[in-house]
Amino acid sequence: MRAVQVIAVREFASFFRLPVGWVVIALYLLLTGLVFGATVLRPGEAASLRNFFGWANWLLLPIAPAVSMRLFSEETRSGTAEGLMTAPVSDAAVVLGKFVGGGMFLAALLFPTLVYVAVLGGASDPAPDPGPIVAGYLSLLLVSGLYLSIGLLASSLTSNQTLAFIGTLLGLVIVLMVTSTATGWAPAWLADLLAALSIPARVGDFAKGVIDTGNVVFFLAATAWFLVLTYVAVGSRRWR
Amino acid sequence: MIEVRDIAKSFGRVRAVRGVSFDVGRGEVAGLLGANGAGKTTTLRMITGFLPPDAGVIRIVGLDMAQQSVEARRRIGYLPESAPAYSEMLARDYLTYRARLFGLDRRAVRARVGHVMDRCGLGPVARRRIGHLSKGFRQRVGLASALLHDPEVLVLDEPTNGLDPAQIRAARELIKELAQDRTVLISSHILPEIELVCDRVIIMAAGRVRADGRVSELLATSDDLARYYVEIRPKADGRGTAGEAAVELVRAIRGVRSARSKGSHGEWAKVTIDAERGAGDLREPIAVAAGRAGALVRELHADKPSLERLFLRIMETEETPGGGENREERR
Repeated sequence: MRAVQVIAVREFASFFRLPVGWVVIALYLLLTGLVFGATVLRPGEAASLRNFFGWANWLLLPIAPAVSMRLFSEETRSGTAEGLMTAPVSDAAVVLGKFVGGGMFLAALLFPTLVYVAVLGGASDPAPDPGPIVAGYLSLLLVSGLYLSIGLLASSLTSNQTLAFIGTLLGLVIVLMVTSTATGWAPAWLADLLAALSIPARVGDFAKGVIDTGNVVFFLAATAWFLVLTYVAVGSRRWR
Repeated sequence: MIEVRDIAKSFGRVRAVRGVSFDVGRGEVAGLLGANGAGKTTTLRMITGFLPPDAGVIRIVGLDMAQQSVEARRRIGYLPESAPAYSEMLARDYLTYRARLFGLDRRAVRARVGHVMDRCGLGPVARRRIGHLSKGFRQRVGLASALLHDPEVLVLDEPTNGLDPAQIRAARELIKELAQDRTVLISSHILPEIELVCDRVIIMAAGRVRADGRVSELLATSDDLARYYVEIRPKADGRGTAGEAAVELVRAIRGVRSARSKGSHGEWAKVTIDAERGAGDLREPIAVAAGRAGALVRELHADKPSLERLFLRIMETEETPGGGENREERR
């Protein structure tokens, strides 16, 4: 566990040592700020962050791959992987450490958006219902984790960061499109299965303030699945 | 301390390492030599657990690299080729991170980081980003990182790469000092460097070990590497140049494999002579033959067989079509 912590802290800190970390934070805050101003802070609008959470989740689509792309690719490209993989730490600790480090950065990126909650609280009377806000943030964290684990897998498969970014983004867009439109073209049994995998549908439940155990388990299990795949990919790279 | 048994590694159709075996004992400093592409780095990567061999066994301090990889890796300090490190980190932060990664506790981290920074002369660059350091300093950061956990086994891939002559000398002293209570395996293609630092050399070519032993032993069994230089004035006979006459004269001596003129200055010619295997010392026969032919010798000296010549000889054998394979069959 200590190795996980050491690797995670280094990854987290390195985002702040590099321009890419600050650019990603600035971009996300700028975009969510625009969304907040345009869809939440409007006269006559209900005191709810529902629209904000919907958009904030969509905006994670390009942001999470931008965070995950360098986690393994950069190590392979620069040769530092050799130092990491010959240190007395297990492959599992390396994968988990990278995931936790990236996750900590995404959490740090979401943290300043709490300002919107404070602004809404100050501007509206009665105050907004806390339930959907807690559920909304939980959904942002869970979606971040899932996207990050998918991005981590892509990053472990190539030494090219751009390829890792595009691969992750493309994969996510395809999955979102296929699962969201399934009812229109797939046979009933397949459509049901694909609809169950739909991320926006599950995020929608959270935005309503419903924390469904099934949804939480879905995100955690899917994240774990991609982490296991990454672990296998990292192990097999030693065999290449 | 390092046991390598019949390891092999292929990348697609390229057979990078084919059946390499050797041992490096406690306190021994062994040099792994070879031309670029000979399989040195791949061998070191397998020894340090970065790449698994396709076949064969590697043991570090008795620990099987395949079965007890994490424990085995803990015993090794490894400086990879060109010493890659996170360029955005400060030198001291990087070493602290590495020390933690090797499981040192808080107090030990501080003590060891301070110690290796002193030892590798990194004080002036402690607060500088690794990406902004000169190649020499980056190399020293890599070496310091390999020493953090005070490993029993040191594996250094081209440790003097990118260092200036003064730094090379300092690195050599440091390696000698470290070797007193450690096992060290160094790869290099800088031969004089290896001769100065290593007790023993392992020469690789085309993925195989071609020679393994103490430098003095390897050279003692390679007396065909002896070379003589003679400056001679042949008796003028009106035919050809002094060089041609001199070469003709020495070629007739028993034990001379080849001779060639390095040019003539008037009546004097300089000739380089290569001996046959087992020919013994040829200085006397050369002098006697010259006297009999009425020639005058004003300089004659033997060049001791050098590691460089042994190395080049092995490379030549390798390049001869089928040479390497034939040699393999004879072994």
